[in-house]
Amino acid sequence: MIKFIFKAILRDKNRSLLPVTVVSIGVFLTIVLSGYLSGMLGDMIDQTARFQTGHVKVMTRAYADNIDQMPNDLALLGIDSIHDELNADFPDYRWVNRINFGGIIDAPDDNEESKGQGPASGMAIELFDKNSGEIERLNLVNSLVEGKIPTKSGEALIGYEFADKLGVKVGDELTYMGSTMNGSMAFAEFVVSGAVRFGVASMDKGMIIIDFSDAQQILDMADGTGEILGFYKDEIFMQDQTAKMREAFNAKYADNPDEFAPIMKTLAEQNSMGTYLDLIDSVSSVFVIIFVLVMSIVLWNTGLIGGLRRYQEFGIRLALGEDKGHIYRTMMYEAVVIGIIGSVIGTILGISVTLLMQTYGIDISGMMKDATMMMPSVIKSKFTPQLLYIGFIPGLVAMVIGNMLSGIGIYKRETATLFKELEV
Amino acid sequence: MSEKIIITENLVKRFPVGDGEFTALNNINLSFEKGEFSGIIGPSGSGKTTLLNIIGSLDSPTEGSATVLGHRISDLSHKESAFLRNMHIGFIFQVYNLLPVYTVFENVEFALILQKRSATERKKAVMQALEWVGLENMADKKPSKLSGGEGQRVAIARAMVKRPELVLADEPTANLDAKNAHAILKTMKTLNKELNTTFLFSTHDEKVMDYLNRLVRLEDGEVDKDDIVQPKYMV
Repeated sequence: MIKFIFKAILRDKNRSLLPVTVVSIGVFLTIVLSGYLSGMLGDMIDQTARFQTGHVKVMTRAYADNIDQMPNDLALLGIDSIHDELNADFPDYRWVNRINFGGIIDAPDDNEESKGQGPASGMAIELFDKNSGEIERLNLVNSLVEGKIPTKSGEALIGYEFADKLGVKVGDELTYMGSTMNGSMAFAEFVVSGAVRFGVASMDKGMIIIDFSDAQQILDMADGTGEILGFYKDEIFMQDQTAKMREAFNAKYADNPDEFAPIMKTLAEQNSMGTYLDLIDSVSSVFVIIFVLVMSIVLWNTGLIGGLRRYQEFGIRLALGEDKGHIYRTMMYEAVVIGIIGSVIGTILGISVTLLMQTYGIDISGMMKDATMMMPSVIKSKFTPQLLYIGFIPGLVAMVIGNMLSGIGIYKRETATLFKELEV
Repeated sequence: MSEKIIITENLVKRFPVGDGEFTALNNINLSFEKGEFSGIIGPSGSGKTTLLNIIGSLDSPTEGSATVLGHRISDLSHKESAFLRNMHIGFIFQVYNLLPVYTVFENVEFALILQKRSATERKKAVMQALEWVGLENMADKKPSKLSGGEGQRVAIARAMVKRPELVLADEPTANLDAKNAHAILKTMKTLNKELNTTFLFSTHDEKVMDYLNRLVRLEDGEVDKDDIVQPKYMV
């Protein structure tokens, strides 16, 4: 009987081609969109982790409460001992210091008069410590529009649009004016070593990057830092693991009432990233549910049309002595075969396109000119093993459900009524 | 004494029509013996097909009973009805109703697959059935490549391949020209004689009536006449 069913599927294009095409397209779209969305949201999270939140971040409680104000007066002090503690407790993580600071940047002309001036958002990172991995983490080399990465104290990187605005080039001097962590005025001079383009308007238009040790000196933060960021060794965010780390670390200081006691926060607890993470988790489920619903309706209708066309066949088969249950079951076998064929084709195509998109991505830099959100300028898909079944199983299920629904008509009709379909 | 393979007793069939009912068959009392070559005749709407459907266990009586090959139709489940049709009853339709995706061989073979017969057994039986109807050389053809007469002969082979005790033929010559109709009827008559298969026709075609031994005339759902006749054509 199975052989007979196969023959009919292969020979009757109306029975196989349309459903296979519908299932293939549905599975293909599910995989491609799911991979694309995972890639996009994953990239956003990855970028935010690298630039702002780390996989975990350690700071003082007071700093954490006012983090939007970059409150370096609430900075973490005695950082060597905290680093020792973190390295001992969490050896799989790399811990780096960061200081975020604000101020005014002034660009003097040849006569030491101001030729350009503007507010700057500064970020101090461990540029000179090759083990920190910060240059790679922030993709600084590839982001350089001109110049080089700072190699010595007193050098700074500047956002390329900011450089244009100030009228400075590589080698020009800049003056920073701000306040130390103690509230007194801070002045410092830097030489522009390079201009960088991150593809994020807020950074390209007002960012200055200096070495962490320079910032400590300028801002009077000896033995202090605004934040200590922790990154898992493979730069992969492990949500459950970071949650356990946070619990273990914070438990140590639970009895300490000091507002300057350190506190650890995970990526998920910062910058509303928890919402994005939940979104990534739910996006696949949403896709699958939508897919199954839409495809079931489409395939139900396809099945109904096919079923109506086949009432004559069912009538003949009833007359030949096949019972309704057997006819219904063979319809299900057909649905499984067609569902598998369609799902395999859709999965192969979907994964192929996802892998292509993972390699090449889609450049959205044109749309990102004025974006203030931290998003990569090239959106890439992300292949995950989940994609192997995220379309396949729903494709098969939708095909079977669609046929089950349309096949109910066989049971609803009296045998003689169904048989009358023969009386053309 | 001949074996009665079809017995109807006070058979009534009503169909719901709007708020009321339409009586398609009323108080039908008939019996047919094994090996008969009989026909139910009458104008359109007289209840011929309804009676054939009940005898073929595709429908059941509203009142009374129909017993076919010892099975009371109204007592059979869907599965048991299907089994009865599969094992003992062959159908021939006005339009040949061959499955278009299958070849002639596969169309005839289908009934035997349902009976779960082995491939060797099936092949032998199908080829013999095709020989009966003179189509052994067309086994690999698709129904779309057959003429009307050939299509109906395949339908006869399909009905006969399982060697049923009863063949129900509903207007089998309605779509055929006279030459093909006679050829088909001769084939069926031959099979009736050689295999002692009971044939029951529903028809208003004079050509068919010329081959029948018994004519049951239905009029408005009731038996109007039941005559044993001398067929015009013998084989």
